[in-house]
Amino acid sequence: MALLEVQNLTVEFGSEDKPFRAVDSVSYSVDRGEVLGIVGESGSGKSVSSLAVMGLIDFPGRVTADALTFDGQDLLGMPAKRRREITGKDIAMIFQDPMSALNPCFTVEAQIMEALKVHEGGTKKQRRERTLELLNQVGIPDPKSRMTAYPHQLSGGMSQRIVIAMAIACKPRLLIADEPTTALDVTIQAQIIDLLLKLQEDSDMGLILITHDLALVSEAANRIQVMYAGQLFESGPADSIFAAPRHPYTQALLEALPERSEGHDRLRTIPGVVPGQYDRPTGCLLAPRCRYANESCITARPEVRDFNGRDVRCFYPLNDQGQPTGLTADMATGENV
Amino acid sequence: MSFLETKPGVPLLESDNLVRHYDVNRGFGKPNATVKALDGVSFTLEAQKTLAVVGESGCGKSTLGRQLTLIEQPSAGELKINGNTVGNLSDKEAKLFRRTVQMIFQNPYGSLNPRKKVGQILAEPVLLNMDQLGRKEREERVRETMAKVGLRPEFYQRYPHMFSGGQRQRIAIARALILEPKVIVADEPVSALDVSVQAQVLNLMMDLQEEMNVAYVFISHDLSVVRHIADDVMVMYLGRVAEKGPTEEIFAKPLHPYTRALLASAPKIDPAHRVKAEPLTGELPSPINPPSGCAFHKRCPFATEECAKVRPELRTFEGREVACHRVEEIA
Amino acid sequence: MSENTTPSAAPAANVAEPIGAPPSPLRETWDYFRKNRGAYVGLMVIAFILFLALTAQWIAPFDPIAQDRTAFLKPPVWMEGGDPRYLLGTDAVGRDILSRLIHGAQLSVSIGVFVVILSMISGICLGMVAGYFRGWVEVCIMRLMDIMLALPSLIMALAIVAILGPGLENAMLAIAIVQLPHYVRLTRASVVSELNKEYVIASQIAGAGHMRQMFVNILPNCMAPLIVQGTLGISSAILDAAALGFLGLGAQPPLPEWGTMLSEAREFVGSAWWVITFPGLCILVTVLAFNLMGDGLRDALDPKMKR
Repeated sequence: MALLEVQNLTVEFGSEDKPFRAVDSVSYSVDRGEVLGIVGESGSGKSVSSLAVMGLIDFPGRVTADALTFDGQDLLGMPAKRRREITGKDIAMIFQDPMSALNPCFTVEAQIMEALKVHEGGTKKQRRERTLELLNQVGIPDPKSRMTAYPHQLSGGMSQRIVIAMAIACKPRLLIADEPTTALDVTIQAQIIDLLLKLQEDSDMGLILITHDLALVSEAANRIQVMYAGQLFESGPADSIFAAPRHPYTQALLEALPERSEGHDRLRTIPGVVPGQYDRPTGCLLAPRCRYANESCITARPEVRDFNGRDVRCFYPLNDQGQPTGLTADMATGENV
Repeated sequence: MSFLETKPGVPLLESDNLVRHYDVNRGFGKPNATVKALDGVSFTLEAQKTLAVVGESGCGKSTLGRQLTLIEQPSAGELKINGNTVGNLSDKEAKLFRRTVQMIFQNPYGSLNPRKKVGQILAEPVLLNMDQLGRKEREERVRETMAKVGLRPEFYQRYPHMFSGGQRQRIAIARALILEPKVIVADEPVSALDVSVQAQVLNLMMDLQEEMNVAYVFISHDLSVVRHIADDVMVMYLGRVAEKGPTEEIFAKPLHPYTRALLASAPKIDPAHRVKAEPLTGELPSPINPPSGCAFHKRCPFATEECAKVRPELRTFEGREVACHRVEEIA
Repeated sequence: MSENTTPSAAPAANVAEPIGAPPSPLRETWDYFRKNRGAYVGLMVIAFILFLALTAQWIAPFDPIAQDRTAFLKPPVWMEGGDPRYLLGTDAVGRDILSRLIHGAQLSVSIGVFVVILSMISGICLGMVAGYFRGWVEVCIMRLMDIMLALPSLIMALAIVAILGPGLENAMLAIAIVQLPHYVRLTRASVVSELNKEYVIASQIAGAGHMRQMFVNILPNCMAPLIVQGTLGISSAILDAAALGFLGLGAQPPLPEWGTMLSEAREFVGSAWWVITFPGLCILVTVLAFNLMGDGLRDALDPKMKR
């Protein structure tokens, strides 16, 4: 049984009759000891979906799902108090900007001990010892002197380690990391990702890594999920999804990377921009920008289907040569080429 | 003093040992500390070329950008445009300077005045530096530049918050271009943009470079972008240059240990491109209290005693310049 | 514009699409404002008072300073002894209270507006200079403002009026001076936070001089809290003017300023309650309306409250 099971999660904002769907029928699951990478550009809904799992979507957002279970327990139907016992303890989350995740008025020690006090209890001495242990675990040099530091006295990398220490303090079974390294330098980023993966391996924790950095997620995750404008477009194992993408968006995204444009003078771009609140296309959300789009793409919305072991939301998923299947020559309008 | 006049054999932009120190007030009774943000940076830039300045936070790349555009005066060292030293400029000279060197900022959401329409934002540099143009001519110039960067004519009347990140960056590029400068300092121009938008903006910048004969000083921390767009790369660490040379050579065979670590840490999509190396330990040192000798020695896997005592100078080696005592052995 | 060389890229001109059609900033502010019912009611009341103020000459049934010796202290029309000509009764020298109130609206609105404009303009200039140039200029200006804030506002206004002499104009000047530090502080705080933003540096690179930076580039971004302070300042100006009038140092009789009316009616609290109550009610309603509108404006202009 999967540790986290999400089925048809939808998060809406705005008026009832014309809602804005930040997340639109997204389904995924995470197992113990597995690293799931959720990747997407801005507006893809990748952060909002995790906030919904953690119960952090406040009014006026509306969260609905067919199923949202953690270890078999239904998170949506649960009373708020019980849910608060689980989130923060069994499911933990770390955010992008460590400077704003830490309270500037309290020392590092005080903040970690608070997390321990709420969920695990114990005497002050016990909690202090555990705090030292945690700081060692996350690789903070000379933890005894750092404990009494305030967040603004620490560098970005250090602060993020403190945030990670707070998150793993109660030995969570699932850790959600929302762009944990975007605000950090690239050498520090490598350290933090290594740390997260090591912690995950040691405690057989599930890890959801949310990022916009395709290369990062390809190195760190077991399975990857590509989101666009609130919808799930493709999902599959990390080692094959970028080598042989099945969805035109994944393919186009990879081609736009400078890494893939070696030898070419100009980068291959995806025309247009991600649809915002006011200009959602009917039918497939990518259709206005997709090079293979045709009539059926514009009028009907594709559902997520299994295609050779990969979940793809497309009428004409790509084959191993990167060409759309099921698309005959006369169907393609070639409009966006 | 004619900045606009090119001379044969003289580089377009030359930075000669630029230094920038800041005094930091440490409170009552304590003496001021000095932050050595830039500690002797020299390079040259030729017309229509791109020099990438790469490094992590605290390396001084943004400070360098500020010195090159004269937002601040350097504490020491010289900046030369077409052979002319840029010192304290008179008003007239300043106007000529601005028509030679311009800047694009990192943050598309902060670099445009939220209370001004696009047309007003773009007209400002022209209004202030080309007084010979009348209102109609100014407007025409603005519209021409908008077309060059792919902005529709009706955007003239709109406010910045009505645009996406990529479009705002186009507006920022238009603003930098409108005076037809010869050098544009781009401070992380695509870092805040999504991958697909980043590709569009980079292509635009390269097109404009050809069309308008512009040289770029491209400040970035994203190595894959740098590899694509730059002719030369300058890697900085704690205010000094660690390695400098042609892009392909540096990427193919990085010599300085810091350059190697940078390239190894950057994640890559293709497993074939991934470099297995020891991840760098430790934190970036504080510029107030830099380590003795080589600034990198505390984190360097090849450090020796000499590295802790003597600061390495830039020297030529294998077609580029490296500041490392042990580069011959490491190579 | 040169075309891209690879087949899958489209020319850049097609690519820069607007994100739908979001409303203009003014429209957006108005939408938010309207949703706040208190603010909306406040705005309606103010509109009504403004209407009275502008049309006083034509609407008021009587001349506010005309005395009718046959009708001293007549009660309002619905009470026993009331006179249908004088709807709200008359005061001790036979002047129609309703007409005086209507003309008083004109006075109060002008007092409020004049005071706020005067102190806002000087406050913005001082605050802008302090925040932009920093250093000892800032220290001098801000410490002076701190001293002014340390003095109780009414006492300071009294002192100024005592020096200049009683009268409506001097009262307005005094209140404007008293309100000055608030605008200086607000402006300076906004300027200091805007100074670090990149668009200011971008304008600097474009060659903007100090005056242009201060008043053309930075000032428009600081206006939101100033506008809110301004609307609240109108209400406090009206109150202060009424207080000064009550003490006999503001508008001098026979001017129908509401505070002065209160002062003249002190002795009649027990016997002729209408002479003191109605002006008091007018002050209350007007100040409340401005406060509600100011609160609504602040919420509507606050970017953090937005979606």
